[in-house]
Amino acid sequence: MRPAQAVRARSAARVPLGLCALVAAALLSSGCGLHPTGPTDGGRAPTGVAPGMTLYFVDGDGELKAQQRESGRLGSVSDAVSLLLTGPGPTSGLRTEIAPVPTTRVAVTTAPDVLTVVVPLSVDEVTPQGIDQIVCTALGAHVQQGGSTGTKVQVRFTLGTAESEEHRTCPLIG
Amino acid sequence: MSPVLGRLRPRGLRPRLVVAFVLVTVLGAAAAAWAGAGSAATALVDGAQERITGEVADRVGAAAPELAYPPDQDALDRLRRDVGPNTLVTYEDMRSADGTGPRLVTDALRGAVRERDRITVQRVAADGRPWLLVGVPLMITAPDGGRTPSGIEVYAVRDLSGVQDQVDALTRAAAGASALALVPAVLLALLAARGVLRPVRDLRDTARRLASGDLGARTAPQGADELAELTATVNEMAESVQTSMAGMERMRADARRFASDVSHELRTPLSTLTAVVEVLATASDRMEPDDRESVGLAVTETRRLVRLVEDLMEVSRFDAGSVRLRVEEFDAVGAVRDCLRARGWLDRVELEGVEGITLRADRRRLDVVVANLVGNALRHGEPPVRVRVTATPDEVRIEVTDDGPGLPEEVRPHVFDRFYKADTARARTPGSGLGLAIAAENARLHGGGITAENAGGGGARFVLRLPRDPGGQEKQEEGS
Amino acid sequence: MAAILLIEDDPLVRRGLQLALSRHGHGVGAADTGERGLRELESAAYELVVLDLMLPGISGLEVCRRIRASGGVPVIMLTARGDDFDIVSGLEAGADDYVVKPARPTVLDARIRAVLRRSTPSDGLRVHRDLSIDTSALTVTLHGEPVALTPTELRLLLTLSRAPGRVFSRQQLLEEVWEHDYLGDSRLVDNCVQRLRAKIEARPSAPEYVQTVRGFGYRFGPV
Repeated sequence: MRPAQAVRARSAARVPLGLCALVAAALLSSGCGLHPTGPTDGGRAPTGVAPGMTLYFVDGDGELKAQQRESGRLGSVSDAVSLLLTGPGPTSGLRTEIAPVPTTRVAVTTAPDVLTVVVPLSVDEVTPQGIDQIVCTALGAHVQQGGSTGTKVQVRFTLGTAESEEHRTCPLIG
Repeated sequence: MSPVLGRLRPRGLRPRLVVAFVLVTVLGAAAAAWAGAGSAATALVDGAQERITGEVADRVGAAAPELAYPPDQDALDRLRRDVGPNTLVTYEDMRSADGTGPRLVTDALRGAVRERDRITVQRVAADGRPWLLVGVPLMITAPDGGRTPSGIEVYAVRDLSGVQDQVDALTRAAAGASALALVPAVLLALLAARGVLRPVRDLRDTARRLASGDLGARTAPQGADELAELTATVNEMAESVQTSMAGMERMRADARRFASDVSHELRTPLSTLTAVVEVLATASDRMEPDDRESVGLAVTETRRLVRLVEDLMEVSRFDAGSVRLRVEEFDAVGAVRDCLRARGWLDRVELEGVEGITLRADRRRLDVVVANLVGNALRHGEPPVRVRVTATPDEVRIEVTDDGPGLPEEVRPHVFDRFYKADTARARTPGSGLGLAIAAENARLHGGGITAENAGGGGARFVLRLPRDPGGQEKQEEGS
Repeated sequence: MAAILLIEDDPLVRRGLQLALSRHGHGVGAADTGERGLRELESAAYELVVLDLMLPGISGLEVCRRIRASGGVPVIMLTARGDDFDIVSGLEAGADDYVVKPARPTVLDARIRAVLRRSTPSDGLRVHRDLSIDTSALTVTLHGEPVALTPTELRLLLTLSRAPGRVFSRQQLLEEVWEHDYLGDSRLVDNCVQRLRAKIEARPSAPEYVQTVRGFGYRFGPV
């Protein structure tokens, strides 16, 4: 072997050792510590604020129509439905298809795809359009809180009836 | 390479193999442990961030429906309390802050929150600890699902030290796993090194035996790797060296036998010559001067020829190793004086030395050595020739010096060579050219030696050293 | 001066030595083999044999042994210088002296004369226990029986018995008995002592007359 080749062979043999040391140093220094980052996405923002509630009544043409109530906050689904049961008020030019009731206590339970609203009414005390009023008001409040517009609404009446099992949708939403 | 690193570089083959093996093994183990620890840590951090983000978003979402809108300062404070400590809530120019965390909220985060209308997180370091910033824009959703920003933004600042500790623990575990790999790696490396080094060591032993003259030394090659090839090559080399050495040895033996045979054969015609030249010499008184001179030359040359043949045979016996010492005890100075007297040199040579130096040696061979050294001094040097006999408890020294020109430097290493003639002009001196060689052989046979040097005064000095008792190889012969 | 038989196989060497020894005044008979030499020795009265050890047919050693067995004719052998084996074998076979080849006739002549001088008589009778030595008749008797000694053996016995109890070194004996001037071969002495003991000692391994003085030489006993 000529001297020049010998020298080259020796330095070549030295490379793996140096490389190993470098890799080891890099591994050791990188570690798994928590390093500062830039802003990164953290998911969908929450929702649920509103200047008031949205209730659904029937106008002079017999169509469903939204009415804003300046309550200062969105409130819950049951708050909205309870307020619906109190009627549109005398100055609004709207009427309700729901019979007046002595109590407005409404219970709401939420399952993944179904919003169940228990109303203090029998099925005889509402027209089908009155049921739409309840469904649209509950679903609107649910959506404003961040719920899906595709959620079905089940309205449970007092006294047993098949209508209580119906999964309904609002004709104005979704 | 720095001098320190150079000094730390392992020299032996075994340490180098072990270091390389251990390095590779530990690196592999470390890489595996690090990769595992890295992905585990990432999962840990991501999980923790998602949990914190989700919790903040849930609290904001839960509080939102009951939040007055547009909010007043009181509403902002309430929302901030619902989300937890270290939180900042802003709406247009209003803000509600708690704890030291909110000062960490960066402009970049706020910009991103406003721009994207999505939850945005950012990790920052402060006070030597990691923090998670969660920026939450609160949205307004229309009943039909349309979303618009409400202008309310919640910034929660959460300490990630706990997560950091868990990650550190994972890192330590990985380092520990790598360190654990060190012990089996060293053991495996030693085993592997032994496997490689044993044939190397065998080969080294064989090479040493070859170097020390054992030309029959071989190593059995094992396996079919490069080491086995090397072993086979070394064996081939040894084979060819052995063959050529044997050939040379045979040639030298042939040459020695030839010299011995020639001298023996010469002896017969020399016997006749010796006999008849003396007959001629006795008759030379009655011859013409030219005839008489011719006869004288024939006598001289015949004697020289006899001497040469005798010396040749003596050398042959040394070469054949057939020379045996006949050791007896005698007085060294007396023996030297007898030697000089027998040759008629007593008046030409100064003898110096006290009687009573006893020596156990072969007396006839000592006589030959002294005669050759003194004869050489008388022929080549100038008088006075001095012989000095001295003794130590272990050896007897006999120095022969002359007053001649001394030995030229280029001659000195060769004076004991056979037939070496320092000067072609002296080629016709009566010596056989073998005298000093025979003297040296005789000295060696006694376990001693002769050295040639130049004395301070310029003449040549030959020093014969003989042990006072050469080990008694052969006992003095006794009558019974 | 003396009748000498030369046994030598090489014709030129034989002729050369014959010429040279004749020039020194000897009557020289010659033989080319050991067999012829032994026959010649029986047919004529020779005073001394010069014997080459390297002979075709029966060897010089065998010739030497036969001469020794048949009588007291002295033998000088011609041998190669330093061939210790030849010298030792020759001395053991009973040779009185040896000369190294190529032999210078003057040296050979000197040895011949020395050997022959050993048979020169002096006078007187020495008696030691059972051994009596007649120095004028040159006869030795043991228990009254005559003992056949070669001239060399006789000369050795005469030299030693001249001064009973005195120690002679090998060198002294070589000079007195063999007339070797310098560095004679001490094996000549040792071999001759052994042969002499075999003839006059009752137990040669525990000699009574020719005693060894370790490290010095020999002396004549009993003292």
